[in-house]
Amino acid sequence: MKEKGRGMSRKKRDVPEAVLSPLETNSQAKAREEKLDSVTRGRLKLYEPGAQNVQKFLTLLAQRMTRPLAASLVGCVHCGMCSDTCHYALARPHDPTMTPVYKAEQIRRIFKRKMDWTGRIAPWWVHAGSPESDEDLNRLKNIVFGTCSACRRCTLNCPMGVDTAALVRFTRGLLTELGIVPEGIFNVNRDQWETGNQMAVTEEDYLETLKWVEQDLQAELGTSDLKIPLEKENCDFMYAINPREIKFDPRSLFHAAKIFYLAGETWTLPRFGWDQTNFGLFSGDDSLGAYLARNVYEAAARLQARRIVISECGHGYRSTRWEGYNWADYEQTLPSESVIITLLRYIREGRIRVDTAKNPEPVTFHDSCNIARSGGLTEEPRWVLRRVCSDFREMFPNRTENFCCTGGGGLLSMAEYRPLRMEVAKIKAEQLRTTGAKFVCTICHNCVDGLNDVIKHYKLDMKVVQILELVEKALIL
Amino acid sequence: MSPALKILENEVQIAALLFMGAVYIVRLIWLFRFKYRQERTFAEGSEKAGIVYSLLNVAMPWGMESTRKKPGFYIQFVIFHAGVAAAIAATFIIPYFPQIFEVKVMVYLFQILIGAACLVGLMRLNRRLTNPSIRFISTPDDYLSLILMIFFFAAGVLAVPNNYRRAEWPLILFFGLTAFFLVYVPFSKICHYLYYPFNRIFLGKTLGHRGVLPPRKKTSSDGPAS
Repeated sequence: MKEKGRGMSRKKRDVPEAVLSPLETNSQAKAREEKLDSVTRGRLKLYEPGAQNVQKFLTLLAQRMTRPLAASLVGCVHCGMCSDTCHYALARPHDPTMTPVYKAEQIRRIFKRKMDWTGRIAPWWVHAGSPESDEDLNRLKNIVFGTCSACRRCTLNCPMGVDTAALVRFTRGLLTELGIVPEGIFNVNRDQWETGNQMAVTEEDYLETLKWVEQDLQAELGTSDLKIPLEKENCDFMYAINPREIKFDPRSLFHAAKIFYLAGETWTLPRFGWDQTNFGLFSGDDSLGAYLARNVYEAAARLQARRIVISECGHGYRSTRWEGYNWADYEQTLPSESVIITLLRYIREGRIRVDTAKNPEPVTFHDSCNIARSGGLTEEPRWVLRRVCSDFREMFPNRTENFCCTGGGGLLSMAEYRPLRMEVAKIKAEQLRTTGAKFVCTICHNCVDGLNDVIKHYKLDMKVVQILELVEKALIL
Repeated sequence: MSPALKILENEVQIAALLFMGAVYIVRLIWLFRFKYRQERTFAEGSEKAGIVYSLLNVAMPWGMESTRKKPGFYIQFVIFHAGVAAAIAATFIIPYFPQIFEVKVMVYLFQILIGAACLVGLMRLNRRLTNPSIRFISTPDDYLSLILMIFFFAAGVLAVPNNYRRAEWPLILFFGLTAFFLVYVPFSKICHYLYYPFNRIFLGKTLGHRGVLPPRKKTSSDGPAS
């Protein structure tokens, strides 16, 4: 990225050495060869080396700009207060490319060059600059995807109210539109566009897993009454889950179904539209976000469910409960809630009985960024945990000040950025270690994997659990 | 008072102020031409409460970790902006309410406020020059804005006694800088105060709607989680 009066030496210095990934990837080449439906319909964007990508980027920037984003772009005073709030900057205090303000500056300088008066007239004066090549865009990709988990910790700590995480997501969205996107993110985008779920679970696999969970539950509870309902109409709620619960860890679904059964709940899973996860949030692709969220909302409407319950997932909760309606321009008509609210209601109404003595080990709670900072659920999980664990202890900082698990923002799917992610995870590792807890509970599948990586890498004597698991363990049958 | 100083204190200031106001209006029209997405979700909290909290955040250093952990930095912020307010007030008091500065205590009060802000300005400049992370993202505009403020404060300290019979140059310097400021500010980062309320309102509205702001009362072991 060149600017008047600022030469290549700065350009080289600006590149965070820890994050580099190429422009073209095998996955994109394969998608092109296979002429995927999502590609031919123009939903999944591929990188075109010959296209005027820089010009397209600048046009998209102007077209997609919103008032809050523009205010965040012009409102920064470069005070640097955000630096001490970001786990990247804290873990690498001598690397100025890790500060949130630096990351935001990468889109801010382009915005200034294209849309701000001073930046257009005297770019050198405000460090305005425009990308000049696809390599510049690739460099931008490595910053916004590779050095930020979009956890929004800096946003809540900015005296000016600048939403840096929103700027990062916005920039990701522009790059995704050009196919300039990390391979891992591309792959999940592709699967969500192609199959409607992020792990490309086929309907056959889905139904098979539901049957298998149902049989296991029937065996455990000794009853054939227990069913995993599918496409049942007029239920109290439709349950939307994370594909991980089908493909890798059906225990979550097992625990949930058991609790729903014991609570005498009428619920259902849909045949399609069951995936509440949404890589539109991570890739910044609002159209993908809208498509996936709409699948869930329309499934609930089709089944005439009275509400949507979202299983344990941070970004899924944020996307389905909050962002999805706005992306899809879909007026919310049904209440939607995290399963944590459902559990709280069951305990409060006495529909299930729990005993803290069944979870005697020290348990701490990790607030998922998307659930706490962007979703407002901070007290409900604690209320439940205090009723199912005998030794619940807080980690510090907590609630909206908690640090990211380091796997947020889609970083778990981007292997090329893993070394840096693990390096900056020392902040999280120390936070976990200090609690002295044997279990760290979270209500996010993404955080489960992120925290497991941290625990393994930093050799912590700790296990990750989810709240459904603890509630299930605490049940008095 | 010389006619030149009189014109500088009055007509020039008014013209510069009108210019600044006009540019600000254009800037706000520019900002409001960007689209604003309508909220489609049921609220969990109150947008109004979120906006109020977000706007009052500036007066709640305990509300953010960044200010809670750096009380010194927050105190600097308060002193700096109190100095700005005092210096701006002085630009109106000197030409229109000169009797106020005939009271010695008022002169000392303004000199202390503006002088302290000048010192903070120097500290901030030092921070910008010596902190590698801050220096890395600092622009010529950042430096000039800060240096101008420091000079403006220094000139303010000298000008508030309003003793033009003894020497006019402190007043000429102060009002000259003020006029320059009024013209330069809309194009510099100093105009952050124009956008500040909007940023805080947008953030407060979004997070208030979701029940993130104001921060929720922490539950005790037996309290309700609602």
